[in-house]
Amino acid sequence: MLELSPQDWTAVLLSLRIAVVATLVALPFGIAIATLLARGSFWGKSVLDAVVHLPLVLPPVVTGYLLLISLGRKAPLGAFLADHFGIVFSFRWTGAALACGIMAFPLMVRAIRLPIEAIDRRLEGAAATLGANPGWVFVTVTLPLALPGIIAGMMLAFARALGEFGATITFVSNIPGETQTISTAIYTLIQVPGGDSDALKLVVISIIISFAALLASEWFARRATARLHGA
Amino acid sequence: MLLVQVEKRLGEFALNASFASESNATALFGPSGAGKTSVVNMVAGLLKPDRGRIVLNGETLFDDAARIDVPAARRRIGYVFQEGLLFPHLTVKHNLDYGRWMGGLPADPAAFAHVVELLDIGPLLDRRPGKLSGGERQRAAVGRALLMRPRLLLLDEPLASLDAARKRDILPFLERLRDEAQVPIIYVSHNAAEVRRIASHVVRLEQGHVTATGGIDLLDAAQADVLA
Amino acid sequence: MGSRLFAPIIVVLALSGAQQPLIAQEQITVFAAASLKNALDDTNTAFTKATGIKVVSSYEASSALAKQIEQGAPADVFISADLRWMDYAAEHKLIKPDTRVNLLGNKLVLIAPLNSNLGNISIGQGFDIARLAGDGRIAVADVKAVPAGLYAKAALEKLGAWDAAGPKLAQAENVRATLAFVARGETPVGIVYETDARIEPKVKIVGTFPDSSYPPVTYPVAATADTKKPGAVQYLNFLRTPAAKAIFEKYGFSFLIKPIS
Repeated sequence: MLELSPQDWTAVLLSLRIAVVATLVALPFGIAIATLLARGSFWGKSVLDAVVHLPLVLPPVVTGYLLLISLGRKAPLGAFLADHFGIVFSFRWTGAALACGIMAFPLMVRAIRLPIEAIDRRLEGAAATLGANPGWVFVTVTLPLALPGIIAGMMLAFARALGEFGATITFVSNIPGETQTISTAIYTLIQVPGGDSDALKLVVISIIISFAALLASEWFARRATARLHGA
Repeated sequence: MLLVQVEKRLGEFALNASFASESNATALFGPSGAGKTSVVNMVAGLLKPDRGRIVLNGETLFDDAARIDVPAARRRIGYVFQEGLLFPHLTVKHNLDYGRWMGGLPADPAAFAHVVELLDIGPLLDRRPGKLSGGERQRAAVGRALLMRPRLLLLDEPLASLDAARKRDILPFLERLRDEAQVPIIYVSHNAAEVRRIASHVVRLEQGHVTATGGIDLLDAAQADVLA
Repeated sequence: MGSRLFAPIIVVLALSGAQQPLIAQEQITVFAAASLKNALDDTNTAFTKATGIKVVSSYEASSALAKQIEQGAPADVFISADLRWMDYAAEHKLIKPDTRVNLLGNKLVLIAPLNSNLGNISIGQGFDIARLAGDGRIAVADVKAVPAGLYAKAALEKLGAWDAAGPKLAQAENVRATLAFVARGETPVGIVYETDARIEPKVKIVGTFPDSSYPPVTYPVAATADTKKPGAVQYLNFLRTPAAKAIFEKYGFSFLIKPIS
């Protein structure tokens, strides 16, 4: 019943791979920026906050276009990366992961920032008196206490990355096997006469995956919170 | 031997405290809002004075003129907070071990057992702080501070959040602590009865200033105007 | 608990990598006009069967494809639905000029949803398409850049119908999206290629635009300038074989050059 053509199956696996990579790569940056925004007070903080939120409010196609003109193979930065490091983003799944990561980033930062702000700073003070330098305090106290928020942020980012379309199709277009994700596959299928049934199969799959991700996120976050409160 | 000379402006409040302490149990005594917690936070390195000096056993921990400010993590001063502040995501045992890990100290089962026995927290070791009563949390907090092998132990109103029955239960532990732990303690409190039992030297703090220092006979004079 | 999170992640990463073929198979990437999808899919299958070379095709408006190639997209072959976008590619040095040939032709038709009341309409000078559309819109591809839209606009202008039709257009980003509009009954009429109308059972042709009203629809093919794959030239040659000709003609394309064996 839910049999897929090889091309559609490829799109599903590619979507998963892109979303996972985008989330994992965005995570350290997300934690860093969320902490900076939660704790720091420095000139330009509100500018940073606004920049981080840009992908949330800009039309996705605009974000994709900006990526194209800066990191495309013929663009200055893109050409530099390609010639000197062999790193190519445009029309590659790595570019799709980059686009998805950028689009998901503000959601991740928002989800992580609140728990970090909510942490009792006196606990960090206690850790300091026990001999922990700021790095260790972060790793042994701050991060574990923010864990439910971090998990929620990761899952939100994953779901957003999975559903990304506008920036992706503008930056890396829609090449089967390389950059054709579930979203662009559905988009293509609905233009193919008779493609509606296949499109619907993909729609169902993408709903199932997103649902599973959200449920998993709930479950992990609840477990982490329970452990915090001494379960 | 602790020497404290600190000044700090805290909003409307001007703190200017000077005292020295040689005994093994000194109380910082005074009404709420006198600035006692701020003073111990400065000693611990959690709050930076505007001006002043803090010297412990001949080592300068803070001297604004000489631009010295040893970070809290390197002062080796144990701190028992008013609310305990055990790490909620760690078991009691891991809380106890935390100072040792951070200090890179080798395991010392004998010392561990001694502290556990001293504070009677053996049955609590595998529990998380969320599952402890107020008194159990405080005892665990004391154990955590002790096991980092501090040169000085600060206790900030450790009994304030407990009811009278709990206080009665824990006071003997604190007395044993003073007698057996071999580390000088600074005991912050507004409660004359506690101070009388624990301390031998009293520093009286009112509205940010040290108004008297001496033995526990200070308390009789102050009895009238202290809100216990 | 962290380890429980990692296991599914590793599985997903492994699986998604596992669908790469184990033996390195030669593969070429073809960027082709959207209207070619069905015919070219069949042709590609025949080509793979004959040579073992895998073909990955991306079907979009020729305008979009040309811009993507300009941005560095990894295409080996480009098939446009009009001369203008192949000329653009040539101007920007994106193709190997000596591989360029005009391969196919097509015709422009007026379509309506299958259950429409419209019968056969003769399309000539003074063709009142606006009245035909009534309250609805006329589905066309983007008239500023997409070949099917450009041909449609040329035809309407030549026939004197453009002024009335202009404000009633529903422009789609390629001709297949246009086709889908009409197939779903979103618009009462639309302008697409004859070959598109033939593969969509939910539409019917209600009129054919006179050849004189628009420039002949021509599909040039070429290998891209940056391709290093010998498979690209093999592919271009295959497109000119009688086998390929048969497939294209089956779908309704006219074959413009002498086939080579």
